Amino acid sequence: MQITFWGVRGSYPVPGAATVRYGGQTSCVEVRSTSGECLIVDAGTGMRALGNKLLREAQGPMHHHVLLSHVHWDHIQGMPFFGPAYVPGTKISVYALLTAADELNDVIGGITRHEFFPMPLEAVPAHFEFHQVEPGVDFEIGPFHVMPIALNHPFGSVGYRIDCDGSSWAYVADTAPFDQVLHKQHFLKGPEPLSEDDRIALAAMREALVRRLDGVDTVIYDTHFLPDEYARFPHYGHSTPDQALEICGLAKVRRLVLYHHAPTHGDEQMDKIAAEYLAKGANVGIEVLTSFEGMTLPIGPEPGAT
Amino acid sequence: MKIRFWGVRGSFAMSGRDFLRYGGNTTSVELVTNAGQRLLIDLGTGATELAKSLMSVEFGKGQGSLPILLSHTHLDHIQGLPFFTPFFIKGNEIRILGANPISGLSLESTLQNQLAPHYSPLNGLENLAAGVSIETITAGDTIQLPGFEVVTAAVPHGSMWTTAYRITADGKTVAYLSDVEYPSPEEPVDIALGLAQDADLLIHDAMHADHDYEQRRGWGHSPARAGVVLAERAGAKKLALFHHSPDATDDMIDEVVTRTAASTAVPVFAAAEGSYLDI
Repeated sequence: MQITFWGVRGSYPVPGAATVRYGGQTSCVEVRSTSGECLIVDAGTGMRALGNKLLREAQGPMHHHVLLSHVHWDHIQGMPFFGPAYVPGTKISVYALLTAADELNDVIGGITRHEFFPMPLEAVPAHFEFHQVEPGVDFEIGPFHVMPIALNHPFGSVGYRIDCDGSSWAYVADTAPFDQVLHKQHFLKGPEPLSEDDRIALAAMREALVRRLDGVDTVIYDTHFLPDEYARFPHYGHSTPDQALEICGLAKVRRLVLYHHAPTHGDEQMDKIAAEYLAKGANVGIEVLTSFEGMTLPIGPEPGAT
Repeated sequence: MKIRFWGVRGSFAMSGRDFLRYGGNTTSVELVTNAGQRLLIDLGTGATELAKSLMSVEFGKGQGSLPILLSHTHLDHIQGLPFFTPFFIKGNEIRILGANPISGLSLESTLQNQLAPHYSPLNGLENLAAGVSIETITAGDTIQLPGFEVVTAAVPHGSMWTTAYRITADGKTVAYLSDVEYPSPEEPVDIALGLAQDADLLIHDAMHADHDYEQRRGWGHSPARAGVVLAERAGAKKLALFHHSPDATDDMIDEVVTRTAASTAVPVFAAAEGSYLDI
Protein backbone atom coordinates (compact mmCIF):
# COMPACT_ATOMS: atom_id res chain seq x y z
CA MET A 1 0.00 0.00 0.00
CA GLN A 2 1.14 3.52 -0.69
CA ILE A 3 -0.25 6.98 0.14
CA THR A 4 0.31 10.28 -1.67
CA PHE A 5 -0.41 13.72 -0.26
CA TRP A 6 -2.20 16.12 -2.65
CA GLY A 7 -3.13 18.71 -0.05
CA VAL A 8 -1.66 19.06 3.46
CA ARG A 9 -2.92 22.49 4.52
CA GLY A 10 -5.74 23.25 6.94
CA SER A 11 -8.51 25.86 6.78
CA TYR A 12 -7.94 27.45 3.36
CA PRO A 13 -5.53 27.26 0.42
CA VAL A 14 -2.40 29.37 0.82
CA PRO A 15 -0.62 30.26 -2.43
CA GLY A 16 2.63 32.15 -2.46
CA ALA A 17 6.37 32.04 -1.95
CA ALA A 18 6.08 30.88 1.68
CA THR A 19 4.33 27.59 0.81
CA VAL A 20 6.23 26.45 -2.27
CA ARG A 21 7.90 23.48 -0.59
CA TYR A 22 5.23 22.16 1.79
CA GLY A 23 2.34 23.16 -0.45
CA GLY A 24 -0.67 25.42 -0.17
CA GLN A 25 -3.61 23.17 -1.04
CA THR A 26 -6.04 21.76 1.53
CA SER A 27 -6.61 18.17 2.72
CA CYS A 28 -6.57 15.38 0.18
CA VAL A 29 -4.75 12.03 0.29
CA GLU A 30 -4.62 9.28 -2.35
CA VAL A 31 -4.24 5.64 -1.27
CA ARG A 32 -3.12 2.86 -3.61
CA SER A 33 -3.14 -0.85 -2.96
CA THR A 34 -0.30 -2.93 -4.36
CA SER A 35 -2.75 -4.07 -7.03
CA GLY A 36 -3.30 -0.41 -8.02
CA GLU A 37 -6.75 0.16 -6.59
CA CYS A 38 -7.39 3.68 -5.37
CA LEU A 39 -9.14 5.38 -2.46
CA ILE A 40 -9.29 9.13 -1.90
CA VAL A 41 -9.48 10.56 1.61
CA ASP A 42 -10.93 14.06 1.84
CA ALA A 43 -11.82 16.36 -1.01
CA GLY A 44 -9.95 19.57 -0.19
CA THR A 45 -8.39 21.72 -2.88
CA GLY A 46 -5.59 19.17 -3.40
CA MET A 47 -8.21 17.08 -5.17
CA ARG A 48 -8.01 19.21 -8.32
CA ALA A 49 -4.45 18.16 -9.14
CA LEU A 50 -5.20 14.55 -8.17
CA GLY A 51 -8.17 14.57 -10.55
CA ASN A 52 -6.00 15.88 -13.37
CA LYS A 53 -3.50 13.07 -12.77
CA LEU A 54 -6.25 10.44 -12.68
CA LEU A 55 -7.60 11.81 -15.97
CA ARG A 56 -4.19 11.47 -17.61
CA GLU A 57 -3.92 7.85 -16.44
CA ALA A 58 -7.49 6.78 -17.13
CA GLN A 59 -8.30 4.39 -19.96
CA GLY A 60 -12.01 5.18 -19.63
CA PRO A 61 -14.66 6.14 -17.05
CA MET A 62 -13.70 5.05 -13.54
CA HIS A 63 -15.38 4.39 -10.23
CA HIS A 64 -13.83 6.60 -7.54
CA HIS A 65 -14.30 6.21 -3.80
CA VAL A 66 -13.96 9.27 -1.58
CA LEU A 67 -13.90 9.02 2.22
CA LEU A 68 -14.70 12.31 3.94
CA SER A 69 -13.61 13.09 7.49
CA HIS A 70 -16.22 15.85 7.66
CA VAL A 71 -17.65 18.51 5.38
CA HIS A 72 -16.00 21.77 6.41
CA TRP A 73 -15.02 23.75 3.30
CA ASP A 74 -11.33 22.85 3.43
CA HIS A 75 -12.25 19.16 3.13
CA ILE A 76 -14.78 19.37 0.28
CA GLN A 77 -13.86 22.42 -1.78
CA GLY A 78 -11.92 20.39 -4.35
CA MET A 79 -14.89 18.22 -5.31
CA PRO A 80 -16.38 20.58 -7.94
CA PHE A 81 -12.91 20.83 -9.54
CA PHE A 82 -12.29 17.05 -9.69
CA GLY A 83 -11.78 16.49 -13.42
CA PRO A 84 -13.08 12.89 -13.59
CA ALA A 85 -16.49 14.15 -12.41
CA TYR A 86 -16.92 15.66 -15.87
CA VAL A 87 -16.31 12.38 -17.73
CA PRO A 88 -19.63 10.69 -18.60
CA GLY A 89 -19.88 7.19 -17.17
CA THR A 90 -17.77 8.03 -14.11
CA LYS A 91 -19.14 6.93 -10.77
CA ILE A 92 -18.17 8.67 -7.53
CA SER A 93 -19.04 7.07 -4.20
CA VAL A 94 -18.77 9.43 -1.26
CA TYR A 95 -18.59 8.19 2.34
CA ALA A 96 -19.18 10.46 5.31
CA LEU A 97 -20.27 10.59 8.90
CA LEU A 98 -23.88 9.89 9.76
CA THR A 99 -24.62 13.38 11.03
CA ALA A 100 -23.50 14.82 7.73
CA ALA A 101 -24.63 11.97 5.53
CA ASP A 102 -28.24 12.42 6.58
CA GLU A 103 -28.10 15.34 4.24
CA LEU A 104 -24.91 14.51 2.42
CA ASN A 105 -26.46 14.78 -1.00
CA ASP A 106 -27.77 18.22 0.00
CA VAL A 107 -24.48 19.23 1.58
CA ILE A 108 -22.27 18.18 -1.33
CA GLY A 109 -24.93 19.32 -3.78
CA GLY A 110 -25.05 22.56 -1.81
CA ILE A 111 -21.51 23.55 -2.71
CA THR A 112 -22.44 23.44 -6.38
CA ARG A 113 -25.71 25.33 -6.01
CA HIS A 114 -26.04 28.12 -8.53
CA GLU A 115 -24.98 30.84 -6.11
CA PHE A 116 -21.66 29.09 -5.32
CA PHE A 117 -20.64 27.31 -8.53
CA PRO A 118 -21.60 27.51 -12.19
CA MET A 119 -22.81 23.90 -12.54
CA PRO A 120 -25.20 22.14 -10.13
CA LEU A 121 -24.31 18.62 -9.02
CA GLU A 122 -27.27 17.16 -10.95
CA ALA A 123 -25.79 18.51 -14.17
CA VAL A 124 -22.30 17.09 -13.54
CA PRO A 125 -21.87 14.06 -15.83
CA ALA A 126 -20.53 11.69 -13.13
CA HIS A 127 -23.01 9.70 -11.12
CA PHE A 128 -22.66 10.44 -7.41
CA GLU A 129 -23.79 8.10 -4.67
CA PHE A 130 -23.60 8.77 -0.96
CA HIS A 131 -22.92 6.40 1.92
CA GLN A 132 -23.20 7.04 5.63
CA VAL A 133 -20.41 5.80 7.84
CA GLU A 134 -20.72 5.11 11.53
CA PRO A 135 -17.81 5.04 13.97
CA GLY A 136 -17.15 1.46 15.02
CA VAL A 137 -18.86 -0.09 11.99
CA ASP A 138 -16.21 -1.38 9.57
CA PHE A 139 -16.72 -1.84 5.85
CA GLU A 140 -14.83 -2.92 2.74
CA ILE A 141 -14.04 -1.00 -0.42
CA GLY A 142 -12.32 -3.35 -2.85
CA PRO A 143 -9.16 -4.61 -1.12
CA PHE A 144 -9.36 -1.94 1.61
CA HIS A 145 -10.77 -2.67 5.06
CA VAL A 146 -12.01 0.66 6.46
CA MET A 147 -12.66 1.39 10.13
CA PRO A 148 -14.29 4.75 10.93
CA ILE A 149 -13.25 6.31 14.25
CA ALA A 150 -15.10 9.15 16.03
CA LEU A 151 -13.05 12.33 16.49
CA ASN A 152 -13.48 15.54 18.49
CA HIS A 153 -14.33 18.39 16.11
CA PRO A 154 -17.16 20.92 15.76
CA PHE A 155 -20.28 19.12 14.49
CA GLY A 156 -18.42 15.82 14.39
CA SER A 157 -15.61 14.37 12.35
CA VAL A 158 -14.45 10.86 11.66
CA GLY A 159 -11.00 9.35 11.22
CA TYR A 160 -10.27 6.18 9.27
CA ARG A 161 -8.01 3.21 9.88
CA ILE A 162 -7.35 1.49 6.57
CA ASP A 163 -5.90 -2.01 6.33
CA CYS A 164 -4.71 -3.50 3.06
CA ASP A 165 -1.83 -5.63 1.69
CA GLY A 166 -0.98 -6.84 5.22
CA SER A 167 -0.34 -3.39 6.57
CA SER A 168 -2.29 -0.46 7.94
CA TRP A 169 -2.39 3.31 8.21
CA ALA A 170 -4.84 5.77 9.72
CA TYR A 171 -6.12 9.23 8.89
CA VAL A 172 -6.84 11.22 12.05
CA ALA A 173 -8.10 14.66 10.99
CA ASP A 174 -9.65 16.91 12.02
CA THR A 175 -9.57 16.51 15.75
CA ALA A 176 -8.98 18.39 18.98
CA PRO A 177 -7.36 16.54 21.87
CA PHE A 178 -9.61 14.81 24.38
CA ASP A 179 -9.23 16.77 27.59
CA GLN A 180 -10.24 20.45 27.58
CA VAL A 181 -13.09 20.76 25.10
CA LEU A 182 -15.84 18.44 23.93
CA HIS A 183 -17.12 19.54 20.53
CA LYS A 184 -20.83 19.20 20.01
CA GLN A 185 -23.41 20.64 17.66
CA HIS A 186 -23.16 24.30 18.60
CA PHE A 187 -20.84 27.26 18.15
CA LEU A 188 -18.14 27.65 20.80
CA LYS A 189 -16.98 31.16 21.63
CA GLY A 190 -14.38 29.62 23.89
CA PRO A 191 -13.91 26.49 26.01
CA GLU A 192 -17.06 25.64 27.97
CA PRO A 193 -16.98 23.96 31.41
CA LEU A 194 -17.08 20.16 31.10
CA SER A 195 -19.83 18.19 32.80
CA GLU A 196 -19.12 14.75 34.24
CA ASP A 197 -20.84 13.24 31.18
CA ASP A 198 -18.61 15.32 28.89
CA ARG A 199 -15.51 13.98 30.62
CA ILE A 200 -16.77 10.43 30.26
CA ALA A 201 -17.54 11.03 26.57
CA LEU A 202 -14.05 12.46 25.94
CA ALA A 203 -12.33 9.61 27.76
CA ALA A 204 -14.36 7.07 25.78
CA MET A 205 -13.50 8.75 22.47
CA ARG A 206 -9.81 8.83 23.34
CA GLU A 207 -9.81 5.21 24.50
CA ALA A 208 -11.57 4.05 21.31
CA LEU A 209 -9.10 6.00 19.15
CA VAL A 210 -6.08 4.49 20.92
CA ARG A 211 -7.58 1.01 20.66
CA ARG A 212 -8.27 1.35 16.95
CA LEU A 213 -4.82 2.77 16.22
CA ASP A 214 -3.15 -0.06 18.13
CA GLY A 215 -0.11 -1.26 16.20
CA VAL A 216 -0.90 0.76 13.07
CA ASP A 217 2.15 1.34 10.88
CA THR A 218 1.57 5.00 9.95
CA VAL A 219 -0.79 7.60 11.40
CA ILE A 220 -1.52 10.91 9.66
CA TYR A 221 -2.67 13.33 12.35
CA ASP A 222 -4.20 16.82 12.49
CA THR A 223 -1.33 18.83 14.00
CA HIS A 224 -2.57 22.25 12.93
CA PHE A 225 -1.34 24.03 16.06
CA LEU A 226 1.87 24.54 17.92
CA PRO A 227 1.39 24.37 21.71
CA ASP A 228 1.23 28.16 22.19
CA GLU A 229 -1.33 28.48 19.39
CA TYR A 230 -3.41 25.68 20.85
CA ALA A 231 -3.39 27.42 24.24
CA ARG A 232 -5.03 30.46 22.63
CA PHE A 233 -7.54 28.52 20.50
CA PRO A 234 -8.36 25.25 22.33
CA HIS A 235 -11.94 25.43 21.02
CA TYR A 236 -11.00 25.48 17.30
CA GLY A 237 -10.98 21.69 17.04
CA HIS A 238 -7.32 20.98 16.20
CA SER A 239 -4.34 19.31 17.90
CA THR A 240 -0.61 19.82 18.35
CA PRO A 241 2.17 17.39 17.37
CA ASP A 242 2.76 16.73 21.10
CA GLN A 243 -0.84 15.60 21.53
CA ALA A 244 -0.53 13.41 18.42
CA LEU A 245 2.69 11.88 19.77
CA GLU A 246 0.98 11.04 23.04
CA ILE A 247 -1.85 9.17 21.30
CA CYS A 248 0.57 7.40 18.93
CA GLY A 249 2.78 6.40 21.87
CA LEU A 250 -0.15 4.80 23.67
CA ALA A 251 -1.15 2.98 20.49
CA LYS A 252 2.42 1.82 19.76
CA VAL A 253 2.34 3.35 16.29
CA ARG A 254 5.57 3.09 14.26
CA ARG A 255 5.34 6.34 12.35
CA LEU A 256 3.47 9.64 12.78
CA VAL A 257 2.94 12.07 9.90
CA LEU A 258 2.17 15.70 10.78
CA TYR A 259 -0.69 16.99 8.63
CA HIS A 260 -3.29 19.79 8.23
CA HIS A 261 -0.68 22.52 8.66
CA ALA A 262 -1.90 25.95 9.78
CA PRO A 263 -2.16 28.37 6.85
CA THR A 264 0.14 30.75 8.74
CA HIS A 265 3.01 28.25 8.96
CA GLY A 266 5.38 29.03 6.08
CA ASP A 267 8.08 26.71 4.75
CA GLU A 268 10.81 27.93 7.10
CA GLN A 269 8.64 27.45 10.16
CA MET A 270 7.58 24.04 8.85
CA ASP A 271 11.26 23.07 8.57
CA LYS A 272 11.72 23.93 12.24
CA ILE A 273 8.59 22.04 13.26
CA ALA A 274 9.73 19.02 11.22
CA ALA A 275 13.19 19.00 12.85
CA GLU A 276 11.89 19.58 16.35
CA TYR A 277 9.34 16.77 16.24
CA LEU A 278 11.60 14.36 14.41
CA ALA A 279 13.85 14.63 17.47
CA LYS A 280 10.99 14.48 19.96
CA GLY A 281 9.63 11.39 18.22
CA ALA A 282 13.02 9.70 18.24
CA ASN A 283 13.09 10.07 22.04
CA VAL A 284 9.94 7.95 22.31
CA GLY A 285 10.68 5.56 19.48
CA ILE A 286 8.29 7.02 16.90
CA GLU A 287 9.43 8.17 13.48
CA VAL A 288 7.88 11.61 12.89
CA LEU A 289 7.57 12.87 9.31
CA THR A 290 6.06 16.15 8.19
CA SER A 291 3.80 15.87 5.16
CA PHE A 292 4.26 18.03 2.10
CA GLU A 293 2.32 18.24 -1.12
CA GLY A 294 3.48 15.52 -3.51
CA MET A 295 4.98 13.30 -0.77
CA THR A 296 4.51 9.57 -1.37
CA LEU A 297 4.91 7.07 1.46
CA PRO A 298 5.07 3.31 1.20
CA ILE A 299 3.09 1.82 4.09
CA GLY A 300 4.63 -1.13 5.85
CA PRO A 301 7.47 -1.92 8.20
CA GLU A 302 9.96 -2.10 5.35
CA PRO A 303 9.66 0.93 3.09
CA GLY A 304 9.25 -0.22 -0.47
CA ALA A 305 8.35 -3.75 0.59
CA THR A 306 4.64 -3.30 -0.13
CA MET B 1 -6.64 56.87 -5.41
CA LYS B 2 -4.46 53.81 -4.86
CA ILE B 3 -5.33 50.30 -5.86
CA ARG B 4 -3.80 47.07 -4.63
CA PHE B 5 -4.43 43.61 -6.02
CA TRP B 6 -4.59 40.99 -3.24
CA GLY B 7 -5.99 38.18 -5.34
CA VAL B 8 -6.11 37.99 -9.14
CA ARG B 9 -6.79 34.32 -9.83
CA GLY B 10 -10.12 33.01 -11.08
CA SER B 11 -12.02 29.89 -10.03
CA PHE B 12 -9.40 28.19 -7.88
CA ALA B 13 -6.48 29.22 -5.65
CA MET B 14 -3.20 27.94 -7.12
CA SER B 15 -0.10 27.37 -5.04
CA GLY B 16 3.40 26.45 -6.19
CA ARG B 17 6.35 27.79 -8.13
CA ASP B 18 4.48 28.37 -11.38
CA PHE B 19 2.21 30.98 -9.84
CA LEU B 20 4.57 33.13 -7.77
CA ARG B 21 4.86 36.24 -9.93
CA TYR B 22 1.18 36.82 -10.71
CA GLY B 23 -0.05 35.09 -7.57
CA GLY B 24 -2.39 32.21 -6.85
CA ASN B 25 -4.96 33.79 -4.55
CA THR B 26 -8.51 34.24 -5.76
CA THR B 27 -10.01 37.67 -6.34
CA SER B 28 -9.77 40.55 -3.93
CA VAL B 29 -8.93 44.17 -4.76
CA GLU B 30 -8.42 47.08 -2.36
CA LEU B 31 -8.98 50.75 -3.21
CA VAL B 32 -7.76 53.56 -0.95
CA THR B 33 -8.52 57.26 -1.40
CA ASN B 34 -5.90 59.96 -0.91
CA ALA B 35 -7.55 60.65 2.45
CA GLY B 36 -7.10 57.00 3.48
CA GLN B 37 -10.70 55.77 3.07
CA ARG B 38 -10.79 52.15 2.07
CA LEU B 39 -12.99 49.94 -0.09
CA LEU B 40 -12.61 46.24 -0.86
CA ILE B 41 -13.99 44.38 -3.87
CA ASP B 42 -14.58 40.63 -3.49
CA LEU B 43 -13.54 38.26 -0.73
CA GLY B 44 -11.52 35.54 -2.45
CA THR B 45 -8.53 34.00 -0.66
CA GLY B 46 -6.54 37.17 -1.43
CA ALA B 47 -8.58 38.89 1.28
CA THR B 48 -6.85 36.74 3.92
CA GLU B 49 -3.55 38.42 3.01
CA LEU B 50 -5.07 41.89 3.20
CA ALA B 51 -6.56 40.91 6.57
CA LYS B 52 -3.05 40.48 7.99
CA SER B 53 -2.11 44.05 7.10
CA LEU B 54 -5.45 45.44 8.34
CA MET B 55 -4.97 43.76 11.71
CA SER B 56 -1.80 45.76 12.26
CA VAL B 57 -3.76 49.03 11.95
CA GLU B 58 -7.10 50.10 13.41
CA PHE B 59 -8.85 46.79 12.60
CA GLY B 60 -6.69 44.97 15.14
CA LYS B 61 -8.04 47.32 17.81
CA GLY B 62 -11.66 47.00 16.80
CA GLN B 63 -11.77 50.51 15.36
CA GLY B 64 -11.90 49.75 11.66
CA SER B 65 -14.72 50.30 9.24
CA LEU B 66 -14.78 48.81 5.78
CA PRO B 67 -17.26 48.49 2.96
CA ILE B 68 -16.89 45.37 0.80
CA LEU B 69 -18.48 45.09 -2.64
CA LEU B 70 -19.17 41.59 -3.95
CA SER B 71 -19.36 40.96 -7.70
CA HIS B 72 -21.25 37.72 -6.99
CA THR B 73 -21.14 34.77 -4.62
CA HIS B 74 -19.37 32.06 -6.60
CA LEU B 75 -16.92 30.50 -4.17
CA ASP B 76 -13.76 32.06 -5.57
CA HIS B 77 -15.20 35.48 -4.68
CA ILE B 78 -16.25 34.67 -1.11
CA GLN B 79 -14.01 31.83 0.10
CA GLY B 80 -11.86 34.26 2.11
CA LEU B 81 -14.84 35.46 4.16
CA PRO B 82 -14.58 32.92 7.00
CA PHE B 83 -10.87 33.73 7.38
CA PHE B 84 -11.00 37.52 7.11
CA THR B 85 -9.78 38.25 10.63
CA PRO B 86 -11.26 41.78 11.02
CA PHE B 87 -14.63 39.96 11.32
CA PHE B 88 -13.43 38.40 14.58
CA ILE B 89 -12.65 41.68 16.39
CA LYS B 90 -15.46 43.34 18.27
CA GLY B 91 -15.93 46.98 17.38
CA ASN B 92 -15.04 46.74 13.69
CA GLU B 93 -17.88 47.77 11.40
CA ILE B 94 -17.98 45.89 8.13
CA ARG B 95 -20.57 46.32 5.40
CA ILE B 96 -20.96 43.67 2.70
CA LEU B 97 -22.76 44.98 -0.36
CA GLY B 98 -23.86 42.89 -3.31
CA ALA B 99 -26.80 41.82 -5.43
CA ASN B 100 -29.00 38.86 -4.59
CA PRO B 101 -27.29 35.93 -6.39
CA ILE B 102 -30.37 34.54 -8.11
CA SER B 103 -33.99 35.42 -8.00
CA GLY B 104 -35.66 34.26 -4.80
CA LEU B 105 -32.40 33.94 -2.89
CA SER B 106 -31.04 36.79 -0.80
CA LEU B 107 -27.39 37.73 -0.43
CA GLU B 108 -27.72 37.33 3.31
CA SER B 109 -29.09 33.79 3.21
CA THR B 110 -26.38 32.82 0.71
CA LEU B 111 -23.63 34.00 3.05
CA GLN B 112 -25.43 32.31 5.94
CA ASN B 113 -25.37 29.07 3.91
CA GLN B 114 -21.63 29.48 3.41
CA LEU B 115 -21.21 29.60 7.18
CA ALA B 116 -23.79 26.90 7.89
CA PRO B 117 -22.65 24.44 10.57
CA HIS B 118 -21.86 21.62 8.15
CA TYR B 119 -19.47 23.84 6.23
CA SER B 120 -17.95 26.09 8.86
CA PRO B 121 -17.39 26.06 12.60
CA LEU B 122 -18.43 29.76 12.59
CA ASN B 123 -21.99 28.52 12.33
CA GLY B 124 -23.56 31.74 11.03
CA LEU B 125 -22.92 35.43 10.45
CA GLU B 126 -24.28 36.21 13.91
CA ASN B 127 -21.18 34.65 15.46
CA LEU B 128 -18.83 37.15 13.84
CA ALA B 129 -17.72 39.49 16.62
CA ALA B 130 -17.54 42.59 14.39
CA GLY B 131 -20.62 44.55 13.45
CA VAL B 132 -21.55 43.12 10.06
CA SER B 133 -24.29 44.46 7.83
CA ILE B 134 -25.37 42.75 4.64
CA GLU B 135 -26.78 45.25 2.16
CA THR B 136 -28.52 44.20 -1.00
CA ILE B 137 -27.72 46.14 -4.15
CA THR B 138 -30.10 46.41 -7.05
CA ALA B 139 -27.97 46.55 -10.18
CA GLY B 140 -28.25 50.04 -11.61
CA ASP B 141 -28.08 51.68 -8.19
CA THR B 142 -25.53 54.36 -7.52
CA ILE B 143 -24.11 54.04 -4.02
CA GLN B 144 -22.28 56.64 -1.97
CA LEU B 145 -19.60 55.18 0.29
CA PRO B 146 -17.23 57.30 2.39
CA GLY B 147 -14.83 58.71 -0.20
CA PHE B 148 -16.23 56.71 -3.12
CA GLU B 149 -19.09 56.95 -5.58
CA VAL B 150 -20.06 53.55 -6.95
CA VAL B 151 -22.19 52.95 -10.04
CA THR B 152 -23.42 49.37 -10.34
CA ALA B 153 -24.59 47.29 -13.28
CA ALA B 154 -25.53 43.68 -13.99
CA VAL B 155 -23.38 41.98 -16.64
CA PRO B 156 -23.79 38.49 -18.13
CA HIS B 157 -21.82 35.58 -16.62
CA GLY B 158 -22.87 32.33 -18.29
CA SER B 159 -26.35 31.48 -17.08
CA MET B 160 -26.32 34.17 -14.39
CA TRP B 161 -25.41 37.81 -13.81
CA THR B 162 -22.65 39.40 -11.85
CA THR B 163 -22.43 42.95 -10.56
CA ALA B 164 -19.85 45.18 -12.23
CA TYR B 165 -18.72 48.44 -10.66
CA ARG B 166 -17.62 51.90 -11.77
CA ILE B 167 -15.89 53.48 -8.80
CA THR B 168 -14.88 57.13 -8.62
CA ALA B 169 -12.71 58.76 -5.97
CA ASP B 170 -10.32 61.71 -5.96
CA GLY B 171 -11.53 62.53 -9.47
CA LYS B 172 -10.31 59.19 -10.84
CA THR B 173 -12.35 56.22 -12.04
CA VAL B 174 -11.84 52.47 -11.90
CA ALA B 175 -14.16 50.02 -13.68
CA TYR B 176 -14.28 46.46 -12.31
CA LEU B 177 -15.73 43.83 -14.62
CA SER B 178 -14.71 40.43 -13.32
CA ASP B 179 -16.59 37.29 -14.37
CA VAL B 180 -18.24 38.54 -17.53
CA GLU B 181 -18.81 37.13 -21.00
CA TYR B 182 -20.36 39.03 -23.90
CA PRO B 183 -22.23 37.56 -26.86
CA SER B 184 -18.84 37.85 -28.59
CA PRO B 185 -15.51 39.37 -27.51
CA GLU B 186 -16.02 41.90 -30.29
CA GLU B 187 -19.42 42.95 -28.96
CA PRO B 188 -19.29 44.22 -25.37
CA VAL B 189 -22.78 44.90 -24.04
CA ASP B 190 -23.83 48.57 -23.83
CA ILE B 191 -23.99 48.51 -20.08
CA ALA B 192 -20.32 47.50 -19.93
CA LEU B 193 -19.42 50.33 -22.32
CA GLY B 194 -21.21 52.75 -20.03
CA LEU B 195 -19.35 51.53 -16.93
CA ALA B 196 -15.94 51.66 -18.58
CA GLN B 197 -16.47 55.01 -20.35
CA ASP B 198 -13.24 57.06 -20.06
CA ALA B 199 -12.17 55.05 -17.00
CA ASP B 200 -8.63 55.63 -15.79
CA LEU B 201 -8.31 51.89 -15.21
CA LEU B 202 -10.41 49.03 -16.53
CA ILE B 203 -10.05 45.74 -14.61
CA HIS B 204 -11.44 43.03 -16.85
CA ASP B 205 -12.01 39.28 -16.83
CA ALA B 206 -9.27 37.66 -18.95
CA MET B 207 -9.72 34.05 -17.85
CA HIS B 208 -8.92 32.65 -21.27
CA ALA B 209 -6.09 33.17 -23.69
CA ASP B 210 -7.61 34.22 -27.03
CA HIS B 211 -6.60 30.93 -28.71
CA ASP B 212 -8.29 28.89 -25.94
CA TYR B 213 -11.55 30.77 -26.00
CA GLU B 214 -13.54 29.00 -28.71
CA GLN B 215 -13.77 25.71 -26.83
CA ARG B 216 -14.74 27.54 -23.64
CA ARG B 217 -17.37 29.84 -25.07
CA GLY B 218 -20.46 30.02 -22.88
CA TRP B 219 -18.65 29.26 -19.62
CA GLY B 220 -19.17 32.84 -18.45
CA HIS B 221 -15.65 34.20 -18.87
CA SER B 222 -13.84 36.37 -21.38
CA PRO B 223 -10.71 36.03 -23.46
CA ALA B 224 -8.13 38.81 -23.13
CA ARG B 225 -9.45 40.25 -26.41
CA ALA B 226 -12.83 41.19 -24.84
CA GLY B 227 -11.15 43.59 -22.40
CA VAL B 228 -9.18 45.17 -25.24
CA VAL B 229 -12.28 45.79 -27.35
CA LEU B 230 -14.14 47.25 -24.39
CA ALA B 231 -11.21 49.47 -23.39
CA GLU B 232 -10.80 50.80 -26.95
CA ARG B 233 -14.50 51.48 -27.51
CA ALA B 234 -15.03 53.01 -24.08
CA GLY B 235 -11.86 55.09 -24.19
CA ALA B 236 -10.44 53.51 -21.02
CA LYS B 237 -6.90 54.72 -20.37
CA LYS B 238 -5.42 51.49 -19.09
CA LEU B 239 -6.41 47.82 -19.04
CA ALA B 240 -5.66 45.29 -16.29
CA LEU B 241 -6.15 41.67 -17.34
CA PHE B 242 -7.69 39.96 -14.31
CA HIS B 243 -9.20 36.68 -13.07
CA HIS B 244 -6.43 34.56 -14.57
CA SER B 245 -7.19 30.92 -15.27
CA PRO B 246 -5.92 28.44 -12.66
CA ASP B 247 -4.18 26.68 -15.56
CA ALA B 248 -2.27 29.83 -16.58
CA THR B 249 1.28 29.74 -15.24
CA ASP B 250 3.36 32.91 -14.90
CA ASP B 251 5.01 32.27 -18.25
CA MET B 252 1.69 31.75 -19.97
CA ILE B 253 0.35 35.02 -18.56
CA ASP B 254 3.52 36.80 -19.78
CA GLU B 255 2.76 35.53 -23.26
CA VAL B 256 -0.86 36.70 -23.12
CA VAL B 257 0.29 40.16 -22.02
CA THR B 258 2.86 40.41 -24.81
CA ARG B 259 0.41 39.33 -27.46
CA THR B 260 -2.41 41.50 -26.14
CA ALA B 261 -0.25 44.60 -25.77
CA ALA B 262 0.90 44.21 -29.38
CA SER B 263 -2.72 44.27 -30.54
CA THR B 264 -3.79 47.62 -29.11
CA ALA B 265 -2.71 51.17 -28.34
CA VAL B 266 -4.28 50.94 -24.87
CA PRO B 267 -1.62 50.22 -22.21
CA VAL B 268 -2.20 46.66 -20.97
CA PHE B 269 -0.83 44.72 -18.02
CA ALA B 270 -1.78 41.57 -16.15
CA ALA B 271 -2.88 42.22 -12.57
CA ALA B 272 -0.34 40.70 -10.19
CA GLU B 273 -0.89 39.85 -6.53
CA GLY B 274 0.61 42.38 -4.15
CA SER B 275 1.12 45.07 -6.79
CA TYR B 276 0.16 48.71 -6.15
CA LEU B 277 -1.04 51.22 -8.66
CA ASP B 278 -1.38 54.92 -8.15
CA ILE B 279 -4.19 56.19 -10.29
